[in-house]
Amino acid sequence: MRRLYSIDPAAAALGLYVGQKATDAMALVPELGAAEADPDGDLASLSALVHWCVRYSPAVAADPPDGLLLDITGVAHLWGGESEMLDDLLLRLARQGIAARGAVAGSAGAAWALARCGDDRTVVPSGAEAQILASLPITGLRLEPETAAQLARLGLVRIGQLASLPRAQLARRFGQAVLTRLDQALARAEEALVFSRPPTPWFARLAFAEPISSPEDLARASRDIAQRLCGRLLTEGQGASRFELAFHRLDGRAERLSIGLSLPGRSTGAIARLFAPMLETVDPGFGIEVVTLAAAAVETLPEREISLESIGEIAAEDGIAPLVDRLANRLGEGRVWRADAYPSHLPERAVVRRPPFAPAAATGAGEEWAKDRPRPVRLFARPEPIEAMARVPDDPPVFFRWRGQLRRVRRSEGPERLAEEWWRRPPGETGPAHVRDYYRVEDETGARYWLFRAGLYGGEVTPKWWLHGLG
Amino acid sequence: MPASPRTSLSTLRAEIAALERGVGERGVRSAPEVIGFGDPRIDARLPGGGLALKSWHAFAGEGLDLETAAASAAFVARLAVPLARRGELVWVLRRDDLHAPGLAGLGLPAERLIQVCARDEDEALAVMEDALRTPGVAAVFGEVDEVDLVAGRRLQLACEQSLATGFVLRRRPYGGAAKGESGSAAATRWSIAPAPSDPAAGDPGLGPPRWRVQLERCRGGRTGAWIMEAREDNDAAHPFRLVADLGDHDLAPEERFRLAG
Repeated sequence: MRRLYSIDPAAAALGLYVGQKATDAMALVPELGAAEADPDGDLASLSALVHWCVRYSPAVAADPPDGLLLDITGVAHLWGGESEMLDDLLLRLARQGIAARGAVAGSAGAAWALARCGDDRTVVPSGAEAQILASLPITGLRLEPETAAQLARLGLVRIGQLASLPRAQLARRFGQAVLTRLDQALARAEEALVFSRPPTPWFARLAFAEPISSPEDLARASRDIAQRLCGRLLTEGQGASRFELAFHRLDGRAERLSIGLSLPGRSTGAIARLFAPMLETVDPGFGIEVVTLAAAAVETLPEREISLESIGEIAAEDGIAPLVDRLANRLGEGRVWRADAYPSHLPERAVVRRPPFAPAAATGAGEEWAKDRPRPVRLFARPEPIEAMARVPDDPPVFFRWRGQLRRVRRSEGPERLAEEWWRRPPGETGPAHVRDYYRVEDETGARYWLFRAGLYGGEVTPKWWLHGLG
Repeated sequence: MPASPRTSLSTLRAEIAALERGVGERGVRSAPEVIGFGDPRIDARLPGGGLALKSWHAFAGEGLDLETAAASAAFVARLAVPLARRGELVWVLRRDDLHAPGLAGLGLPAERLIQVCARDEDEALAVMEDALRTPGVAAVFGEVDEVDLVAGRRLQLACEQSLATGFVLRRRPYGGAAKGESGSAAATRWSIAPAPSDPAAGDPGLGPPRWRVQLERCRGGRTGAWIMEAREDNDAAHPFRLVADLGDHDLAPEERFRLAG
């Protein structure tokens, strides 16, 4: 059966309602214009709106099918107040042709109720939720439809009536969910919202009277906004290691850039410099009206003490850390690393990489490579096959051919027998064929090779020789 | 009184000599800081008695080593061991095959070494320059195919502005065509080849690594060729032991092997 999914004010004025049978509606209003419901499309539009709303606060949660929840803790002052911020948001939505209602309250539940059942653009002073919600219908509580209907049959139509009832009885008759919803609305219980990104109070925003688009303006804007946020970080003794800069365009799309720091920081110059080379990738479209900057991974960063002894020494924060940041942001984070020892005897697993300023313990390493086991300077990611000739089994090769050239072995060392780590292999893939005997050999020119024989002579599989490293 | 041609010529000569020795613009003679090899037979050939810091040096392998850069990397790593105490080391790679345990075995501590893998030649040079300018960096190694004159000058400027020393390891892409000699902005240019090791009598294995080192160009010094061995006592100040002085002439050891083969 086909029913009405959503109606506009004109249809409502004619007495149509959501859930009405489509045939009934057509009978009442023959000239009714209807379109197929598109819940997926609605959801996609809602999620686009979530991204658009990030210009108001970094913490935006979609509330399907038709709601948005913004955590505006600590950001409303940027607009001059909560009600100004709400007006601005609704005005901009209206300009885009989106009819919306809004409310500001101390809890997501209260804001939800007021936006749907209360006066439009209500701003609830903190602590006044119970008083203002009392006169609203219980449909504002996000209850299950059956529960709401049951309550209505009992004459409980206002939230205030429900709130005045003894809690134990309420829970027994209608279930715990009613109490939870009531508490959430009255800001007595916490509610976990799923934000599109974690909420952060470390957020700065710059709006422009005239949209900007020139590269110089973008650079200046990114610098100004970094200065704002860094000023706040400095006064509160904090530093952050991730920054996300967003350019909100006139057409509602946002261009995002993000950088990471290897050590938490709050230096305007350093942050602006890291963003600077990325600015050319920003497509300003018809112009950019708002720039936001959010900081993540914020931690306490004490004022650096400058002692007499440390003058002349160069702290990591001054030299290496900015270099690592520049390189990691320009080349990609995987391209700058320090090698750490990992407790594995397999050469390809004995080295782990970590970001240069991550603590060594993060990788579970902290060991040292054994000094009595010399290793080559170059290790191939994949050993290269060689043709080798050994005099007897378990002997190093007398000569071998690598890259088409015959090399006569003059001196050699080994074997160093390394078994596969059988506990990391499926059964059946272990056994003598997977034993590697490593030899360090030197040819007549003195060039050094690290080669191994996989498998043992006399087994089912003929052993193969591989070159794994040089030097 | 107009200066006679003879005196003006000698003044010019003195000026040139002063420039070559690195007299500063204000006429203040800044003694060039060097790391010595600890053997007069090498140090006497180099201006200031050792490898000049705050400038960059070019190293190239021979034959296949120009592609694999194994023996030359080992030599350069060993050469830079005394610098590891002064600050961080940055190694700029094009191909990611440097094995830190091998470097640690040569005495270059992995905890001081930051490795950077650049995507192309220009990026590698830019990273080198950036790293050389950074305070707190003692040495920067770069594996690049070629340093042209402009890039070389930029590296030199970066070295002079900070305290870092650059080591350019010439490395050709696999199968790439050999490029002509370059690096005229380098303070020194070296050619490195492995040399057969000579373990103590009765020792069946490999001795400490040896290199046939040729100083091909040296601004303000003389060229030379030596066979050097990594010292086993791990004396951090002088990582090499001089095995043989091959004199100040070009070598042709390839011939010897050809005859032997």
